Amino acid sequence: MIHAAGFFPYGIVGGSTNLEEANAHLQAWACSHSRSALARALEGKLDFLDGLIIPHTCDTMRMLLDLWEHVRPLPYMENYRLPRQANRSSAGKYLLGELKRIKTGLEEFRGAPIEDEALRDSIDLYNQNRRMLRRLTDLHISYPHLISSRRLYTVINASMVLPREEVNRLLQALVGQLEQDLDGQAGDGHVRLLLSGTLLEPFEVLDYIEEFGGTVVADDFQNGYRYIEGDVNTELAPLEALVDRQLKRIPSAAFDIEQNPRRFFLTGLAKGKKAEGAILLHLTFCEPENFDSYDNLKAMQAEGIPATRIETQFGGSGLGQIRTRIHAFMEMLGGESR
Amino acid sequence: MSAKNVFKTAELMKKIMKDYNEAGRAAKEGGRPVAWVTAVFPVEIIYAAGLFPYYPENFGAVAAARKVTHELSTAAEAKGYAGDLCGYARSGIGDAYSEEHPVGKILEPDLLFCCNTQCGSLPKWFEVAGRFYNSPYFLLDSPRVGLETDRLCIDYFIDQLHEMITFIEKQTGEPFDYDHLTEVLHLSNEACRLWNEILDSAALRPAPFGFFDACFHMAPIVTMRGTREAVDYYRALKEEIEERIEKGITAIPEERHKIYFDHIPCWPKLRWFSELFASQGALVVASQYTHSWAYSFDLERPLESLAENYTHEFVNRCFEYRVNRKISFMKKYDVDGFVLFSNRSCKPNAFGLYAKSKLIREKTGLPGAVFEADMADLRLFSEDQVLAKLEPFFEQLH
Repeated sequence: MIHAAGFFPYGIVGGSTNLEEANAHLQAWACSHSRSALARALEGKLDFLDGLIIPHTCDTMRMLLDLWEHVRPLPYMENYRLPRQANRSSAGKYLLGELKRIKTGLEEFRGAPIEDEALRDSIDLYNQNRRMLRRLTDLHISYPHLISSRRLYTVINASMVLPREEVNRLLQALVGQLEQDLDGQAGDGHVRLLLSGTLLEPFEVLDYIEEFGGTVVADDFQNGYRYIEGDVNTELAPLEALVDRQLKRIPSAAFDIEQNPRRFFLTGLAKGKKAEGAILLHLTFCEPENFDSYDNLKAMQAEGIPATRIETQFGGSGLGQIRTRIHAFMEMLGGESR
Repeated sequence: MSAKNVFKTAELMKKIMKDYNEAGRAAKEGGRPVAWVTAVFPVEIIYAAGLFPYYPENFGAVAAARKVTHELSTAAEAKGYAGDLCGYARSGIGDAYSEEHPVGKILEPDLLFCCNTQCGSLPKWFEVAGRFYNSPYFLLDSPRVGLETDRLCIDYFIDQLHEMITFIEKQTGEPFDYDHLTEVLHLSNEACRLWNEILDSAALRPAPFGFFDACFHMAPIVTMRGTREAVDYYRALKEEIEERIEKGITAIPEERHKIYFDHIPCWPKLRWFSELFASQGALVVASQYTHSWAYSFDLERPLESLAENYTHEFVNRCFEYRVNRKISFMKKYDVDGFVLFSNRSCKPNAFGLYAKSKLIREKTGLPGAVFEADMADLRLFSEDQVLAKLEPFFEQLH
């Protein structure tokens, strides 16, 4: 919808930055994702933005927009109030209303309506993007020596901040080249891992995994598989199609579905991708994760999938310690002997 | 409220809360479904459906007031529930896993109902509990509301109330009694009206009743609004306050200043705070927290009215609305300063508080302070740190 309005969608994730100014506004016990994103804004590093939409995924995100608006206002600021339940008919009806509200706001800011035709074109562009990123992911899983975990996730994250048309052109070339290169190549003996968490951070984790003989074959990060799974149904009217996709997203800790289906999704994913172990990257102070991680670990254990939990922070993760933990875990899985 | 200054009604409070807890246990034994609910939830529907509403948050507050949150929490933390989660949630989850029950065992749910106007912690806690106790769970979703009346949210809430009533009918096997709902709403209106008249008495100079008294007397408005008992209780309390006004009995010995306080009190330190403020001649007179239960339902349009009241509760509103509301309380009670509690257990109230404090100082010219602590867990409380924030504040009052 943002793209169809003629704006440039730019995905903000936290980062390594000076938190001094943010400390005056957001308590140290807020997650490092929110703190470092706000810090980047306070330092003026996000002044190129004309607007900001923050989805309601947790209490921190719910409060962040208002605070941001107060300390560093942008011309257009909006909350995306996702429904917290997805399995009753009221959710779809409400979400359609919420998307219409946001569409109207974008149209007012833009000064012109967003035409259905433009919305369909944008949906196609993003569907293509996700399809190509999924193809790239498949290539990585089968041939990790051709495209490493680090490179795969770097490409996914780049697509969150680069013009999508350009990303798709580059992806087409990359996928084409890799498909040529893989002729006659066989997969190798990396230890196959599932990673799970809110956000993939720090990326050095991927280097350590490969250093000790592993590769990532599945994940559910917002800046990973969660970002590229599932297409928008082009048979439906555009807004209805966006609602349909949102309500069918893979299970998340941020949404309240009583049986925590994410734990079964994760064990199913691990089995489907033949993962030999799982690392839960737990963003410190991430409340939805805090409530679910015990269940998720227990579900892994019940399915006989070795799993470990590692706490991470944007800009503040102790890399040495993380490397040691991954080394030990990989040793247990027999990574270095392969 | 000093020890010498205890309300007669306190005895009645102990009795009705004891009766309420016994009724819960009797319901459990007698096959009347026990329904867990959250504090800002249309409990009127639960009462009208003949279910027994139980408030795990109240359990959390009692554990906190008895200074045992950290003991219960240890059992939750041992399972991997992080120590930075809401203290009430850690108490509840801890009690589920613990062999020890220092405040008695939490009343196990047959059904769980949660409204997320207050926060995202409650739904997650209830989800965990629903799985632990293997009981069905229903979430009433309330998207955040801005400055204006939000029709989209109200309509969504009404749709969900219908879904919830169908869910209850399926669980109980009985059709929902809308006539009974009207009676319950009438009683709820009465209790809310009396409660708010009681809170208003804090505006008198000197006042017979303040925020710390309200914290003591609030359990029935939270847990029993919609019942005759709550109406009778607040009628008795109101009479006692009127009697105190006649006799000139005041909340603190020498009231020189009135203070606004947000939000939830620090339960294990309630007396410490109340004595600290009293020692400065300062009476805490109002808080958004105790003023939460100020509903007014239109009996002609019960579901619409429930949706309007509960979705537009202050805890679900935007930054600007909340700042305006705080300032309007400060004006109404003519306060001399404000103290804001950055509560580790309550992210929606704590995040943004420093910016709010600055804005309120600019808009009102009043002195103010923000302190860091936890409403429940004494491990996250330091007297020295709180005093370091409050002592300079008290100096500004003189």
